[in-house]
Amino acid sequence: MGSQPAQIPTSFGHELRACLRCRLVKTYDQFRESGCENCPFFKMDEDHERVVDCTTPNFTGVISVMDPTRSWAARWLRIARYVPGCYTLAVSEALPEDLQNLCEDEHIPYAPPKRI
Amino acid sequence: MPRHRDYDDDDDEPEEEEEDVYEEEDEEEEDDGGKAGRKRRRSDFIDDAAEEDDDEDEDDDDEDYGGGGGGGGGRRRPKRRTGSEFFDLEAAVDSDEDEEEEEGEDDFIVDSGADIPDEDGARREYRHRLLPHEDQEEDLEELTRSIKQRYARSPHVEYDEEATDVEQQALLPSVRDPKLWMVKCAIGREREVAVCLMQKAIDRGPELQIRSVVALDHLKNYIYIEADKEAHVREACKGMRNIYASAKIMLVPIKEMTDVLSVESKAVDLARDTWVRMKMGTYKGDLAKVMDVDNVRQKVVVKLIPRIDLQALANKLEGREAPKKKAFIPPPRFMNIDEAREMNLRVERRRDPMSGDYFENIGGMMFKDGFLYKTVSMKSIRTLNIQPTFDELEKFRQTGEGGDGDMASLSTLFANRKKGHFMKGDRVIVVKGDLRNLKGHVEKVEEDTVHIRPNQKDLPLTLAFSDKELCKYFDLGNHVKVVSGSSEGATGMVVSVQGHVVNLVSDTTKELLRVFADNVVESSEVTSGLTRIGEYELHDLVILDNKSFGVIIRVDSEAFQVLKGVPDRPEVALVRLREIKAKVEKKGNAQDRYKNHLAVKDVVKVLEGPCKGKQGPVEHIFRGVVFIYDRHHLEHAGYICAKTQSCVLIGGSRANGDRNGNPMSSRFAHMRPPPRAPQSPMRSSRGGPPMSYGGRHRGGRGHDALVGADVKIRLGPFKGCKGRVVDIKGTSVRVELEAQMKVVTVDRNHISDNVNVSVPFREPSRYGLGSETPSHPSRTPLHPFMTPMRDPGATPIHDGMRTPMRDRAWNPMSPTSDRGGDWEDGNPASWGSSPQYQPSSPRSRAYEAPTPGSGWTNTPSGNYSDAGTPRDNGSAYANAPSPYLPSTPGGQPPMTPSSAYIPGTPGGQPMTPGSGGLDMMSPIGGGDTEGPWLLPDILVNVRKSNDDTVIGVVHEVLADGSCSVGLGSSGNGDTIIAHPTEIDIIVPKKSDKIKIMGGPQRGATGKLIGVDGTDGIVKVDDTLDVKILDMVLLAKLAHA
Repeated sequence: MGSQPAQIPTSFGHELRACLRCRLVKTYDQFRESGCENCPFFKMDEDHERVVDCTTPNFTGVISVMDPTRSWAARWLRIARYVPGCYTLAVSEALPEDLQNLCEDEHIPYAPPKRI
Repeated sequence: MPRHRDYDDDDDEPEEEEEDVYEEEDEEEEDDGGKAGRKRRRSDFIDDAAEEDDDEDEDDDDEDYGGGGGGGGGRRRPKRRTGSEFFDLEAAVDSDEDEEEEEGEDDFIVDSGADIPDEDGARREYRHRLLPHEDQEEDLEELTRSIKQRYARSPHVEYDEEATDVEQQALLPSVRDPKLWMVKCAIGREREVAVCLMQKAIDRGPELQIRSVVALDHLKNYIYIEADKEAHVREACKGMRNIYASAKIMLVPIKEMTDVLSVESKAVDLARDTWVRMKMGTYKGDLAKVMDVDNVRQKVVVKLIPRIDLQALANKLEGREAPKKKAFIPPPRFMNIDEAREMNLRVERRRDPMSGDYFENIGGMMFKDGFLYKTVSMKSIRTLNIQPTFDELEKFRQTGEGGDGDMASLSTLFANRKKGHFMKGDRVIVVKGDLRNLKGHVEKVEEDTVHIRPNQKDLPLTLAFSDKELCKYFDLGNHVKVVSGSSEGATGMVVSVQGHVVNLVSDTTKELLRVFADNVVESSEVTSGLTRIGEYELHDLVILDNKSFGVIIRVDSEAFQVLKGVPDRPEVALVRLREIKAKVEKKGNAQDRYKNHLAVKDVVKVLEGPCKGKQGPVEHIFRGVVFIYDRHHLEHAGYICAKTQSCVLIGGSRANGDRNGNPMSSRFAHMRPPPRAPQSPMRSSRGGPPMSYGGRHRGGRGHDALVGADVKIRLGPFKGCKGRVVDIKGTSVRVELEAQMKVVTVDRNHISDNVNVSVPFREPSRYGLGSETPSHPSRTPLHPFMTPMRDPGATPIHDGMRTPMRDRAWNPMSPTSDRGGDWEDGNPASWGSSPQYQPSSPRSRAYEAPTPGSGWTNTPSGNYSDAGTPRDNGSAYANAPSPYLPSTPGGQPPMTPSSAYIPGTPGGQPMTPGSGGLDMMSPIGGGDTEGPWLLPDILVNVRKSNDDTVIGVVHEVLADGSCSVGLGSSGNGDTIIAHPTEIDIIVPKKSDKIKIMGGPQRGATGKLIGVDGTDGIVKVDDTLDVKILDMVLLAKLAHA
């Protein structure tokens, strides 16, 4: 485990949210207080409104990645380069347009969830 | 192993690390003959892009194959570092993060094999481009350095964001990857376990050698742990509260690993007007229609038929505590706002700002048009494979949804169509798009495209449509078969088509069926559908478990519809086979309102009750209830249930037939040999002047003496059954069975009747002759004449003579005349043959004795003179008041044809000569004068007291009709005097010498050279002519 792991969710219920970009799962409060470890440019900790925009409570499945670099699952899910932490397998929404633009400005790639 | 040391210190690897590497390589070689590994490494050396990969690879190999020696995941890093250092210092400088990402990438390259150089190169470029931006997140300095050190090779972290399927494919797990293990955990705690394990991993550091933990939403009770070894998994699970460590840890096969992580896409596009079903709660399983979709909040608004208990709702809203948790779910019912207001519920009318529609709001619930509009989570509805039933759709349609709504809802139906729904030649109609309502024939079907040939002119020869735009089409009057759905198997005729719905009239039940056009195919087949389950058949009268009873009016695939025997209202019950207790076979009887006797098949009219005015034949009588079949009655398969007391027998019904017809035969019945007596008690019950037979009943059936006879089948599958002969064709006889209400065909030789009793046979023939005479009127005068003759015979002696044969002979006729005249259906066969009326009167016995005496001897003249027709006499004897009697002219017509039957006997002839004429003129005459009719030298059975019979030869016919008979087959024994009624003629067999007993050839002898049905082929001795004569005319000649 190379990098500092992300915050670990403190509960397991409905207050959980997933980052729409990196799929990190934390509670709303955690996002609000410390933002997303993988996506600091969203600056959720500074702008609390952002939390709602950047995260979603609708996600499917949880994967705790202890060792992203050497986890096949993390690689398969393309979260291998993120910090260790709890992620979700899939979010069903796309990042709002303005935030997608933000990503582009920051040269952060963003891939919307695939719709089948 | 040195690897056990820290994994953190990347940079300053001591020399020994190098050694480690070597060591390790050696190990590897030893362990698994790592030639492959080495080779790979060499090639990696060549490929500058893959130096590190190589290391990683090596590590992996090591881990994978090295057995327990690998230790922990954490240990590898230092080793790798050293390894890379060995050829490339760059790696040592890189940040951890970078490294890791690199690693993933490396794996990728290695896994996919180094043989995709193009891609590799491309990616390198890409990385290069991306690198600066990417690494902004990271320590810039470090990154820059690393870039330089790597000769501009970037970690290309983000490549996967734009991963194509091919690249994803390249990520497929290999044997070198960690494995997934399935671990049982507490139900509902899947996420919690995953999170806890994460926490544990953080707390314990590298000690915990698992790589990831997966908790799936759709898989309860299990989590997946990714690790290299099962031991690691066990280690990680140790001490976890919600993990059942004792349970078996299952390895996920490598091929299924991706399945674990592939999440069923939630993003099923829910469109408006889609049919869905509720997954849980009060409405679980209910059909709902999507009215609005909020993809962001993952909510949908669905339209439901409310299941609301208004009272409970009122209680709740008023704060009154609902006393008990309701154990039942209210049935779906449209919300009636007025009703709600009456319950003092607060109804607010609000306008939905979005749609502009008005809703009634009651206690937070939104109603419109009686429907409940409910916002639910997408998770709580089922969207796949929804197949609304017709009824459900019908309910939704009720509240004035236009045809368009109907069509829209079809999309769901269409989606569920089976493949190959359309076939070449199907008639279809376009239901969507510009060409809507265009009709045509299917020409060709490809996958989802259907080519149709439009019926319209001026259109291209064929047009291609998506199968979703087409719908089968039927015209009125088409005969179709239902191929799926609840009424599967039924056939019927299309009576109307409403959009996608076809109404058809079932062939069996005559009921209207509503089915989707999709479920119907054109078919000329006329199936009654099912008519039978187990031993119960359509139209059977059955007793149900709960003591009620009814008639089966419809047979579904698994159940019967039974019209219950409740007279007040039609009550139909759906019963399963096991709920039926028994079938009622017996034919009941009852009395109508005016105390007329009712029997099955009598035509009655309902005088009161819901079915007042209906009429038809009685099909079943049971416990004071009749089931009437009215073919004009369209419900309940035409069956009507009524109290017997509410019915009245109407004209020409069977019962009358009995009344009129039976009396006549009754006379004979009582004369019948005892064993047969019970078979037609009714008839025997009323004495009647037999003369009627002469004119009427002889009918066209003359030569089929057996028709109408009661017989017993003595061979074959129906052995033992009794029945009545309805028809004779050649040597086969059609017998209507008494017990089963069915007509079977049996060989004539397989029935036992008293055909052998010769006298009766003869009589009919003679009657026949009599009947042929055109001079009916003459008969009457003759009668009185005859009576005296009969007198002697009328006494018990008759019994002997009037063998059942005669009854048989008569039976068919009485029906002919009576029914033929009165009832449209007057089919002599059916009437005559139906067994019901025989058993219907038990009185026969009682009458037996008195009738002959009183009836005949005492009041002969009165009767005859009173009534011109024999019929009347009959009635006088039996049910004198019956008004129907005179009304039966039917007897006449049949008389004429009869003459044709007996060859060579022109009607009048027999009448003229004295005695013979007398006989023939009327049946009675025949009956009474049987004595003289006998001829000397024929072989007879003489019945003595009771049933003993003795064979004998008639020596002489005395003036009073009795015969002197010499007993013994040659007539050499004692001579006795026997009355004709005691004498049975022995029917000759083939090749027997015979004497002709009637007709112009009377008295002639001959040889019976063949028997064809009721006809005997006779070679007459004198003339050597071959004659075909009725068997009843033939008697066996005693050996001279």
